[in-house]
Amino acid sequence: MKKQTINFELNGELVEVHTEPSGSLLHLLRGQLGLLGTKEGCGEGECGACTVLLDSQPVNACLIPAAKIEGKQVQTIESLSKGDTIHFLQESFVEKGAVQCGFCTPGMVMSAYALLKANQDPTPVEVKEAISGNLCRCSGYKQIEEAVLDAAEKIDQGSRED
Amino acid sequence: MSYIIASDLNQALQILRDSKGQARVIAGATDLFLQTLPAELVDLAGLYETTQLEETGGLLSIGSAVTHASAARSLLIRSQAAALAEACAMIGSPQVRNIGTIGGNVANAAPAADAAVALVALGAKAVITDIAGQTRVEAVEELYAGYNRSTIDSSSEIIGRLLFKSCAAGEGSAFMRFAPRRALALPLVNAAARVRVSGRRIEAVRLVAAPVKPAPTRLFETEALLQEVIPGPEIWPKVEEAAAEVEVRGSMLRCSEQYRRHLVGTLAGRVLKEAYQRACAAEGGET
Repeated sequence: MKKQTINFELNGELVEVHTEPSGSLLHLLRGQLGLLGTKEGCGEGECGACTVLLDSQPVNACLIPAAKIEGKQVQTIESLSKGDTIHFLQESFVEKGAVQCGFCTPGMVMSAYALLKANQDPTPVEVKEAISGNLCRCSGYKQIEEAVLDAAEKIDQGSRED
Repeated sequence: MSYIIASDLNQALQILRDSKGQARVIAGATDLFLQTLPAELVDLAGLYETTQLEETGGLLSIGSAVTHASAARSLLIRSQAAALAEACAMIGSPQVRNIGTIGGNVANAAPAADAAVALVALGAKAVITDIAGQTRVEAVEELYAGYNRSTIDSSSEIIGRLLFKSCAAGEGSAFMRFAPRRALALPLVNAAARVRVSGRRIEAVRLVAAPVKPAPTRLFETEALLQEVIPGPEIWPKVEEAAAEVEVRGSMLRCSEQYRRHLVGTLAGRVLKEAYQRACAAEGGET
């Protein structure tokens, strides 16, 4: 397929790319735009390692044709930290030991981030549902669940909100 | 050689017409994207016409590009077509449900697609428009040409929406599936039912199970056991037994034929009972 020009908002900035329209958003992000935080696991929508937000909703970047993002907002893991300061959700992952090999972590964090944006006081069941599309082959789900609940607690105490 | 995001249905049909069979319509494309994509694509996912969800005069109209996530969240679908909301909530993963569409679930023609199974139980019909401007309305179960093959030609036809009667007073529906995990797993068997009661007597019943045939399949003989019956505890084992008589195929990857028949029986009983109880609860406006 011939390359097409696609305009979209990436992590709050308008970008224009010239790319293969039926290539995946994942390969656009990693290959062309150099954003390596989003991981490629299975490449077929089964593992969630490539989770990014498309208009605030978590999606598998490996299943999105690049042309589909025209005019939309894409948010990747890179947008969460500010300089050397990581997001309080990421802090919770560190504090609760929710990172083992780390490969699923960016996707997990993006699914959890989308949850906390929509629901600042999730129940453990809601957390499990929110990360149900993200596989952790180290099987450290319990700590991940604790980390997300811990981050929600920080919001509840009014110390953090975005 | 192009990927076009259509601005409305007419434009999408015009592009199909101009491409003379080369272009194909896509919506979420979560299944198609894993195969080789056709060179010309028309994306319907964001169209106003295909993303509406509304009820008019007791008829529910669901745009073909309504995502599984939107359908599962919709209060209208949850209250008027519980089976569909339940089915949509179990498809794939949250990420897939945010992109995958109900029309795609039908057009992809997988034999046990959860939303399609619920739609057939609800009695849904697809409104299909072709490039000649002709519109036809066909029952969802009639849209299967074989395993994973739809009768819909995506180079010349578009499912605009799906239509069915909403569940009124005295009606209930339910969907259940059995899968190895609660997320990211295809079902070994799924089943859906719609029941209408009057004074606790069953007046109408639709029971669908899959995978039985290429299309979601109604189990007419099992339905007949409940027709004009006030079900007591003795009826449900008979229902399960009758449903488990259905001929199914075993699968090397998923489960044996015997196990699948057992699951069809068990799920049929449970889903009918649930739909019946909901119908009774909804009788006379009670909830």
